[in-house]
Amino acid sequence: MSRLAYGRDYEVVQWLRPEPMTVEEAAGQQKIEDVDFEIFRHKMNMIAQEGKETTMKLGASTGMRWGDVAFAIYTAQGDLAVVATGIWFHAVLGQIPVKYILKHFADEPSVRLKEGDSFFWNDPFYGGVHGADMGLAVPVFDQGKLVCFVGAVVHTGENGATDPGGMSNTARSRYDDGLLCPPIKVGERYTLREDILTMIGSHVRDPRTMILDIKARLAASRIAERRIQEVLGDKGPEFFIGGLRRILSVTAEAAKKKVALLSDGVYRQPRFLDTVGTESALVKINLTITKKDDGFKFDFEGSSPMFPDKPLNTYFHGILGLAMVYFCGWFFYDLPANNGLLETIEWHFPEDSFINAKGEVSTGLAPFPQTAFTLGMFLCGARMSYGLDPLRAVAAWYTGFGAPMFGGINQWGEPMADTFAELNATGCGARPDMDGVDCAGSYFATMSDCGDVESTEEDRPFLYLFRNYFRGSYGHGKYRGGAGLGYCLIPSHVPGVVLGAFGYGSKFPATVGIFGGYAVPPTFVQTVRGSNMKELLAQGSPAVPVNAEQAFQGNGAETGRREFHHSSMRIQPFQNGDTVYLPVGGGAGYGDALERDPEAVVADLRDGMVTPWAARNIYRVVYDDETLRLDREKTQALREGARARRKQRGKPYGEFEKEWLKLRPRDEVIKYYGTYPVSRAT
Amino acid sequence: MKVRITEYLEIDLAREKWCCRRCSRELAGARENYKTGCLVAEVPLQEVHDPLVQGGEFSFCPDPEFCRLIEFYCPNCGTMIENEYLPPGHPLTHDIDLDIDALKARHRL
Repeated sequence: MSRLAYGRDYEVVQWLRPEPMTVEEAAGQQKIEDVDFEIFRHKMNMIAQEGKETTMKLGASTGMRWGDVAFAIYTAQGDLAVVATGIWFHAVLGQIPVKYILKHFADEPSVRLKEGDSFFWNDPFYGGVHGADMGLAVPVFDQGKLVCFVGAVVHTGENGATDPGGMSNTARSRYDDGLLCPPIKVGERYTLREDILTMIGSHVRDPRTMILDIKARLAASRIAERRIQEVLGDKGPEFFIGGLRRILSVTAEAAKKKVALLSDGVYRQPRFLDTVGTESALVKINLTITKKDDGFKFDFEGSSPMFPDKPLNTYFHGILGLAMVYFCGWFFYDLPANNGLLETIEWHFPEDSFINAKGEVSTGLAPFPQTAFTLGMFLCGARMSYGLDPLRAVAAWYTGFGAPMFGGINQWGEPMADTFAELNATGCGARPDMDGVDCAGSYFATMSDCGDVESTEEDRPFLYLFRNYFRGSYGHGKYRGGAGLGYCLIPSHVPGVVLGAFGYGSKFPATVGIFGGYAVPPTFVQTVRGSNMKELLAQGSPAVPVNAEQAFQGNGAETGRREFHHSSMRIQPFQNGDTVYLPVGGGAGYGDALERDPEAVVADLRDGMVTPWAARNIYRVVYDDETLRLDREKTQALREGARARRKQRGKPYGEFEKEWLKLRPRDEVIKYYGTYPVSRAT
Repeated sequence: MKVRITEYLEIDLAREKWCCRRCSRELAGARENYKTGCLVAEVPLQEVHDPLVQGGEFSFCPDPEFCRLIEFYCPNCGTMIENEYLPPGHPLTHDIDLDIDALKARHRL
């Protein structure tokens, strides 16, 4: 093998921005009329969209079926040009494996690139996120000339790691992270190689889903290849190559113009994670964004050190991939999503930090620091955007995950290992002009869905006791975050399963608000072993809880051993009939809760979307308990009193800071943090 | 001339002052942290986050061993201009540190 001694390629992972323009790309652009370009771009978008839909229709895993899919068209140099997705980070990170293939295999006699080839990968060192995220790409040729790649990146959800279901919260090194496959040729002459598929399938707990997902990615890619060849036949390769490059060029140019409109300055957001594996402990991502002229610089100096034996590390490009989630979905929402946007960013990651993983450390929970960072993007982004366009200054959607992963044998006798799609049912962050949408989706996968209860029950051995809005799940404010879900799973139809959960924010809120809006409450898991819930159901008992609030408060009717667990609950066995209760976080709040329209609070009371406790104690609304009739005068007086008490309670900044800085968490809480409060490697 | 910065903050460019957008109170110099002109309070977490469950290791209220809630108020009108959830004793964040000269140039001042 040329140029690589079977180790990792630390160079190719730096190639996130567009490659230098080739002579052919430059020449091709010159000959494209504006109208032709728009038609071409639309066609490419439609091809990608069809690829995404096809992948979803054919796939088997939870992630693939419910939309955790990015289908992309890459240039012949590997740059992401067009993508259909709401899961933007896979789109931009998918280009690194493609560039790896080009760098190492295009001229390698034992591999080479040929028509009909297909390549697979899931090593997060190249894919950027974690081992459960897997990609497949195929090269597309015109008369033997490489013109582009197409492919899909999808969360398949099980890759044979220490814990089933793709989120290994007990992994201690990368060798506990399961199958981590760098880009490898899995098919040639339009045929998948059964020996390779057998090898991949033998590494995971659910080979059927693994292989079906690979075939779904490939089928969608072949359809896209056919569509592109139709365009090539019509327009020729010079137009096509120039057109793809022009998409990148116009995107980068427009992005720089937009960035230039923001106020220059430094924006700081130290973000905190409260979960290390299955332990509660604090670590920090120290985000500083310097905006000057038409660019940003991201600096992470002062972040916590790398974990030698915990799975919370992430590769640096995973962080940048998540920056693209905010950029594509919010700040550059009106621009094409491609790596031309990255022309506006420079970055600096400290060498010794858990957000710049090196060596053999585990990255099994890399999505945690990545999403915690994205909260910083929302918070900095709102402060940068408000002056330009207040309506884009929104609070964050829930960032802390909080979903079960499971393994075992399903009711059809087949092995299973996956997660549940409810992590796609978080609430939307509140906005400057309205409440967040309830159960809007997932901010990092905005086109995904939480799935149907009935579909899940059909092939997973679980009964849903309930699944509905949880009014204790969002952040309060002038506008409130959208509600998340509460749901209860009961293992059924089989003797038992193993089940754990992944998430953070059980001690320190995962998602905080903006401009005085409050944070999303903590989330955690409740289980009852040896529960009598099935008996209560059989009796038609009115004591059966119908939502998370009732379930967590408990009414004494459910018997058994009740336990509370961290959002990252260690994987453990559960028996048929045990109950598992889970909340899904809502959106964060926007603005001072005392400015919320009292009528909106009463409307939420009528709809069961706010608790009487919050209406009185946070929103300071006076109403008749029976009729819910608002008393405006008393509400106004109550709020004026609350503002007066704030002024009595508040201290001048210097006086407050003097006492505040004397505080410090217990050593146990900051044992992984680095030096406190300014984190440095220890 | 005043330019809006957040829901509750604006900058008087001529006077180089952070101001409250609800009552126009001058808070601090525009080249300083606006929070230095606010009243600051640590608010007990249970005032804002109803625990729902009691006595366990977890509840729906953040754990004060990990997290505290700091609120920043306008000294005149009492509006909550911002809040921060921070570990105990972690320095308060200078979150918006604008290049005032560039801002003035943008607005031709």
